[in-house]
Amino acid sequence: MDFELSPLQRERYAGINAAVAERFAEHETCTDPELVRLAWKDAASIGLTGMCLPEEHGGAGLGALDTALGLEAFGRSCSDMGLVFGVAAHLLSCAVPVWEFGTDAARELLAGMAAGDVIAGNAMTEDEAGSDVGRIRTTAKGSGDAYVLEGEKSFVSNAPIADVFVTYAVTDPAAGFLGISAFAVPRELDGVVVGPPLPKMGLNGCLAARVRFEDCVVPARYRLGAEGSGGAIFQHSMAWERGCLFAGYLGLMERQLAECVGRTTRRRQFGRKIAGFQAVSHRIARMRQRLESARLLLYRACWLLDQGRTDVGAIAMAKTAVSEAAVANSLDAMQLFGASGYLADAGIEEQLRDCLPTTVFSGTTEIQLELIAREAGL
Amino acid sequence: MTLDEVTPRIRTFIAESFLDGDPKGELTESTPLLEWEVLNSMNSALLLNFLREELRVEVPLASINAANFRDITSISKLVSGLTAVPAEGA
Ligand SMILES: Cc1cc2nc3c(=O)[nH]c(=O)nc-3n(C[C@H](O)[C@H](O)[C@H](O)COP(=O)(O)OP(=O)(O)OC[C@H]3O[C@@H](n4cnc5c(N)ncnc54)[C@H](O)[C@@H]3O)c2cc1C
Repeated sequence: MDFELSPLQRERYAGINAAVAERFAEHETCTDPELVRLAWKDAASIGLTGMCLPEEHGGAGLGALDTALGLEAFGRSCSDMGLVFGVAAHLLSCAVPVWEFGTDAARELLAGMAAGDVIAGNAMTEDEAGSDVGRIRTTAKGSGDAYVLEGEKSFVSNAPIADVFVTYAVTDPAAGFLGISAFAVPRELDGVVVGPPLPKMGLNGCLAARVRFEDCVVPARYRLGAEGSGGAIFQHSMAWERGCLFAGYLGLMERQLAECVGRTTRRRQFGRKIAGFQAVSHRIARMRQRLESARLLLYRACWLLDQGRTDVGAIAMAKTAVSEAAVANSLDAMQLFGASGYLADAGIEEQLRDCLPTTVFSGTTEIQLELIAREAGL
Repeated sequence: MTLDEVTPRIRTFIAESFLDGDPKGELTESTPLLEWEVLNSMNSALLLNFLREELRVEVPLASINAANFRDITSISKLVSGLTAVPAEGA
């Protein structure tokens, strides 16, 4: 067993970290679609939009652990977590399935996706199908040359600026979860209707919207995998997302920890640094412990993915640990900063708002705990 | 692994994990697992994990479809037909 990153991994992490710090030093969370697109181009220029794609498709050919390290560096030095989240979701839940299961025609999208020119949104969730994704109602009828998609997706991150949607629809109603098929749907197709940006509490740099497919004719070349393999493809992409995307939050927690150490060693009350009060220093110790233990679980889950093992329990434990640590640490940071943490300027309240949804997206904490418990034989 | 070895293990796993032990003994080898939503998104992930970790069989994604996971018979046939993943250290 070796807990050290290799020299190459350390070098790559440092390189991405420095590049992100330089490019995003002045960047503030923005919601103007044009500015968001420009930020994506900056991320792409560092290679963040295509890290795990093969070189022939414009990527860097990195495995899951190395991709996670890249996203960790992104989250470490870019305070716009919506951007980090949006880029990661584009890469992991959209580009990965297009690369692994797409036809040659669908894979033609990948070069643009790696370059940040073609932005993707993952469209699975529906009003009546959140955790229980097998209940989706969007249908894809037809076969042969084309399918007609009909239905509405209720929460699609990146949708307002997306050029393509990786979506899921029922092709065989009798087959439940294994009657779902996956498609890459270019936005320009007739019948793709993107709603207005959804107002939300955080991750504001990642615009989200509802997406409706109205009599939308999708050529069969855009189907990913075989008919009926959409459920398995979705789960595979979620394994990547639950592993790698959450590394961005490790980066956030590390940045936040440094800010808390800085603040509590500068701030004086009762004639001394507040870090000198054990209630304060132990709070920081716990933040650090949560971060480091979550990091170990996440690295291990990604390492298993690189060994070709989609270990449901390991991935669920990593996802739960990172998301719960991110929420707990953000609450601690608020407390440590006092009133200044509550004001927008310090960026601490934004971190809390950006961390809160982590226990919901990519599979809620309750669903992950259910998987962990059931896998343990309960 | 032969079909005779695999079938009871898969049957026991499904009964214990998804059907509360199947107290009324309703689960048969031809029970339509997908149609009856025994294999929903969560349970199919757990079943695949069981096949990988306990039976040492990695089901390729292309084989995860309704025909292969329709019932215990089809799953058992699939599993016995797949090459067992070599045990660690072997
Ligand atoms: C910031 C953000 C970004 C998102 N981006 C996308 C996206 O890009 N694409 C997309 O398709 N979706 C996206 N989603 C939606 C997300 O995938 C769903 O919110 C998530 O799957 C949960 O579904 P739900 O919100 O409908 O909650 P529900 O499934 O209705 O759950 C509500 C509550 O009930 C609990 N619950 C449900 N079932 C069980 C059970 N069996 N056991 C125990 N507890 C249970 C849940 O854990 C939760 O606490 C996003 C969500 C957020 C917050």
